[in-house]
Amino acid sequence: MATAAERVRAITGRILGIDPADIKPEHSFAVDLGAESIQSVELVAMFEQEFGIEMDEDEALAVETVGEAIEYITRLCREQGVEI
Amino acid sequence: MRLLLFDGSPQARGRFNPLAWSHPIWELRCGITTLAEKLHARLNPDDVACFVPEYMAEAYAQRTQWKVNDTAALASEDLLAVNARVKAASLDVTGTGPSEVGLAQDGEVLYARVAATDAGKLNRQDFEGFLESAKAALPAKTVLLPTYNYIWELILENPGQITADFQALGRSGIEGTVEQPTAIRGEGKNVYVGRGAVVHPVVVLDAEGGPIYLDEGVQVHPFTRIEGPCYVGRKSILLGTKCREGNSIGPVCRVGGEVEESVILGYTNKYHDGFLGHAYVGEWVNLGALTTNSDLKNDYSAVSVILDGRHPISTGSTKVGSLIGDHTKTSIGTLFNTGAYVGAMGLLMATGKVLPKFIPSFSCLLDGLVTKGFGKNSLYATAKVAMGRRNCQWTQADEKMWDAVYEMTAPARETAIRRARKTMFRA
Repeated sequence: MATAAERVRAITGRILGIDPADIKPEHSFAVDLGAESIQSVELVAMFEQEFGIEMDEDEALAVETVGEAIEYITRLCREQGVEI
Repeated sequence: MRLLLFDGSPQARGRFNPLAWSHPIWELRCGITTLAEKLHARLNPDDVACFVPEYMAEAYAQRTQWKVNDTAALASEDLLAVNARVKAASLDVTGTGPSEVGLAQDGEVLYARVAATDAGKLNRQDFEGFLESAKAALPAKTVLLPTYNYIWELILENPGQITADFQALGRSGIEGTVEQPTAIRGEGKNVYVGRGAVVHPVVVLDAEGGPIYLDEGVQVHPFTRIEGPCYVGRKSILLGTKCREGNSIGPVCRVGGEVEESVILGYTNKYHDGFLGHAYVGEWVNLGALTTNSDLKNDYSAVSVILDGRHPISTGSTKVGSLIGDHTKTSIGTLFNTGAYVGAMGLLMATGKVLPKFIPSFSCLLDGLVTKGFGKNSLYATAKVAMGRRNCQWTQADEKMWDAVYEMTAPARETAIRRARKTMFRA
């Protein structure tokens, strides 16, 4: 079973058209990976579907890096009782 | 006599969404004036009080001089409570006289005339109680008064109402400036150019099919052709517009492209090319370049509209375009289906496909799919900027009203979001 980090990298790669192996935790979605604002909305939707969680829009869009996304999603899974 | 305006049941109001999310029905325009202005002109009351859903009371009170949801207005005068959906031209009720309640066939109160001597018999704790007690305690009869029952009826009646309102207002002639060469077709008495309005050269005002009313401060830029009947509201600008018959636009709108038999409320921009037909567009809407709606199906059958996200309702008309709520923004190249319901506070980013027929309020649309988007605070920030550009202010009361709309529209939006996420994930 893939880890949360692997699943976040897979989704990110799919939306942004990047090889997941090239995505590092310290990468900023906007600056390093070139995510447009529209793609950040797609990322939120896909993370919610992938993990079965609900994200707060303001909180989710405040996340800047891949590592922060992994932490945020892991915390939400814990809070919302979703096993990962 | 004091006129009391009310909208009727929540179900009746719901048939005027997405506009009724943020407006009392009487605030909606049909022709040159709003439904309230028509009732006021018909009844000539000494003063007016109105009753709106509680969630919009504070916001509406900011933009009206009338008393809003003030139960003190239910005491000690001759009162005439009128359901704002009643067509004013058919309302044959005098403001004073013995108490009388007029009911629709389904029992809905269409009007209640309450003589000052009877006011004490009625419940004055709240307006719903007032109407119920009037129905129970005063002589009531079933009346056949025509009413507006769906928002698209305001679109379909708009051309005729412009003509009727033009005659009722009794204004014609040029009080502003008409630069030459400008062609006026039809009778000059069917054209009114208000004070401060400027019609630039190379404009056609075609009043053969109905009157044209350009309100104060309107600017009509070159290469615009306006076909009557048409009303252009205060300080609006037409930019080389193909303004076909039956439009009511403004105040303070910027409109270009092709527009036909549509109502566009105040402060809305449709600056660029693109076709809008048989549409009702709210306030503070921005339609990106080439935004276009269909208003006629390929098989010429009656257009249906989905008001609640689930059940299509036949309009009975072959021509109905889009219904667009306040503060919605569309990207370039947005295409709306025939009879599209486009909720308020939407952010629609199109990718060339025709969008779904039902788009809930506060939707962020990507590739035709509803997402959570950037959240309501981001939409409020944009609304604040848009209003600031026209010297208007976004207030706490506005925010409170829109917060309530956000909650009320959540079920339809969440269903659409869940459906969209599955589609996105499969792609």
